[in-house]
Amino acid sequence: MSLPCGIRNYNYAQDMAIVRTRTQWGLLLALIAVVFTAPLYFGNYWLGVFNLIGITLIAAVGLNILVGYCGQLSIGHAGFIAVGAYTSAVLTNRFEMPFLVGFLAAGLVSGLIGIVFGLPSVRVKGFYLAITTVAAQFIIIWVINHWGLTGGFTGISVPYASIGGFVFRSKTSQFFLIAGVAVLTIFLAKNLARTRVGRAFIAIRDNDLAAQVMGVNLLYYKLLAFFIGCFFAGIAGSLLAHCYYLNLNGEMFSFTDSILYIGMIIIGGLGTSLGPIMGVVLIRLLQQVLLPIYLVPFLESSFKNLPSGFATGVTPMLFGLVIVLFLILEPRGLAHRWALFKSAYRLWPFSY
Amino acid sequence: MSNKKSKKYLKYTLWVLAAGLLGYAIWMSVTNGEFLQFLITGISIGMVYALIALGFALIWKSSSVANLALGQIVLISSWFTYSMLVQAALPAYIAFPLVIIFAVFLGWCIERFALRPLIAQPILSLITVTLGIGYFIQGIVTFIWPWSVAGLPRLFPREVIHIGPAVISQEYLWVIGICLLVFVLLTLFFRYHRMGIAMRATADDQMAVQASGIPVTRVFSVSWMFACAVAAIGGVLISSIGGITQGLVETGLKSFSVVILGVLDSFVGCIVAGPVIGLAETMGGGYLTQYLWSGVKDIIPFVIIIIVMVIKPYGLFGETRIERI
Repeated sequence: MSLPCGIRNYNYAQDMAIVRTRTQWGLLLALIAVVFTAPLYFGNYWLGVFNLIGITLIAAVGLNILVGYCGQLSIGHAGFIAVGAYTSAVLTNRFEMPFLVGFLAAGLVSGLIGIVFGLPSVRVKGFYLAITTVAAQFIIIWVINHWGLTGGFTGISVPYASIGGFVFRSKTSQFFLIAGVAVLTIFLAKNLARTRVGRAFIAIRDNDLAAQVMGVNLLYYKLLAFFIGCFFAGIAGSLLAHCYYLNLNGEMFSFTDSILYIGMIIIGGLGTSLGPIMGVVLIRLLQQVLLPIYLVPFLESSFKNLPSGFATGVTPMLFGLVIVLFLILEPRGLAHRWALFKSAYRLWPFSY
Repeated sequence: MSNKKSKKYLKYTLWVLAAGLLGYAIWMSVTNGEFLQFLITGISIGMVYALIALGFALIWKSSSVANLALGQIVLISSWFTYSMLVQAALPAYIAFPLVIIFAVFLGWCIERFALRPLIAQPILSLITVTLGIGYFIQGIVTFIWPWSVAGLPRLFPREVIHIGPAVISQEYLWVIGICLLVFVLLTLFFRYHRMGIAMRATADDQMAVQASGIPVTRVFSVSWMFACAVAAIGGVLISSIGGITQGLVETGLKSFSVVILGVLDSFVGCIVAGPVIGLAETMGGGYLTQYLWSGVKDIIPFVIIIIVMVIKPYGLFGETRIERI
């Protein structure tokens, strides 16, 4: 990492630190302060959008560990989120467990299911693995739709999240819960990438054969990546169930959502800690705010002679286009652009 | 040495098993009408899967791109057929060539504008770009045809025919016939046509082909055109029976089980594995539903994918040219 002029490291601890300078500390604290005081400036609608962004962020960070760092393409992430959501829903609704138990169990069960469907990754990679995760998505949703315990097609109602008697009923309290978990997740993921485990993941992504020769245990680390990725998915699912939907059915976790999750981390930048944040914020804002509030009504009112409902096609069309364009024009995502901007800014006006 | 021997025994066992199954199937179809019905339905559905999977194999073989947008290509070409036949009310002999032209054009567009810039990119990009294309096509479909279900007019005579104890809708036999015809035509094309030979050569050794002056990019282009046309034919066949729904995307995804069970790049694999998957699906749907939950039919291909992945990841006809991890 390049530092501003005149900043030197005098010991290894300084060299390893994520946050180096006073300015960085100040900016970080300011950002966290802004995030956690957001309910003061925004109404309920925007808080709802932020809640969804936060939940998606947790899932996307998990997917980024699996796809971005470890290089194991998973196109069934919505399925794993569904596992988490339903585990937590079933535990709290049918067995009347407290929310926290359901929350942790959601992560664990989802991670274990992830390991089961990740097992083929030990023998195959690339397209084969992608197809396996697609199959996982469909099998999971089918089981959810038909199993009596999960409520089947009629769905299952979920109580509000509650910790020790405090019930997260208002959007504001839910926001604090989700933002807390999301910040923690991002912090964990950022640090995970710097540990032995993270370096093993990156080695596997870059060349698994070489990694094996260097003594990285492929079986262990690939399954660990699946576990961690799906653990975050499960936690996100639990929050989605208890703080966002409150009434689940299998339709909410479709295959197109899985594609969208992949799209988000690609647009943000694979294998960076900043990438998922940028991708998720961009896509969710487009999906939740720009399209339904501005673009779709505009299209519906200006093209009256087209069959009704046509404008719902705009969303997938736009996202598909964005994914393709990003892959062609900027495969390293927004995070790379941001890094370029930062280095240009740092050196300005002497850019060489 | 012992490994080789055990492989040999495995082969014998498989042959004996296959022969036994065949005998059982013949016996059952003579005595049991329902069984024969499932057999014919399964084979015809499986043939359609095989066609779609062939579309996949064509692209994979020439350019090593895994095309996950097949389902949506099937979907959009079925809707286009609907437009031509019902909305524009064209006669079939004009409509079907138009559908093929549309599919070929679609394939050309995809290859030229999305895949060409990504040549020599890592496989992760190549897979995800087709996902993006699929998403885009799905958006277009919703944009142009926002009602989600439609029926194609019946393409084939509907009179049932009686074979022994079974009552079979004629259209299934037509589907099998047309699929076989397409397979034969494609085989002839690859055997005798200049471009077909060039495509086979590209699959074999891309470097050598380029060195001998064959435009590899055009080969890629042509293989995408063929793939889309073949997938469109499969889509029209299957939606003439089942109607046009969003489920067609899932049909496209199911055909990946054919791809996995056969081998990624083998024609024979596709043709054998297709009916196997189709049979497993209809037989499973017919006989397992009473023991399991309803709709078990729809996930059997996916379960097969997982099983094949765990047991024999490179397919029934997999070559030993395996990239071991």
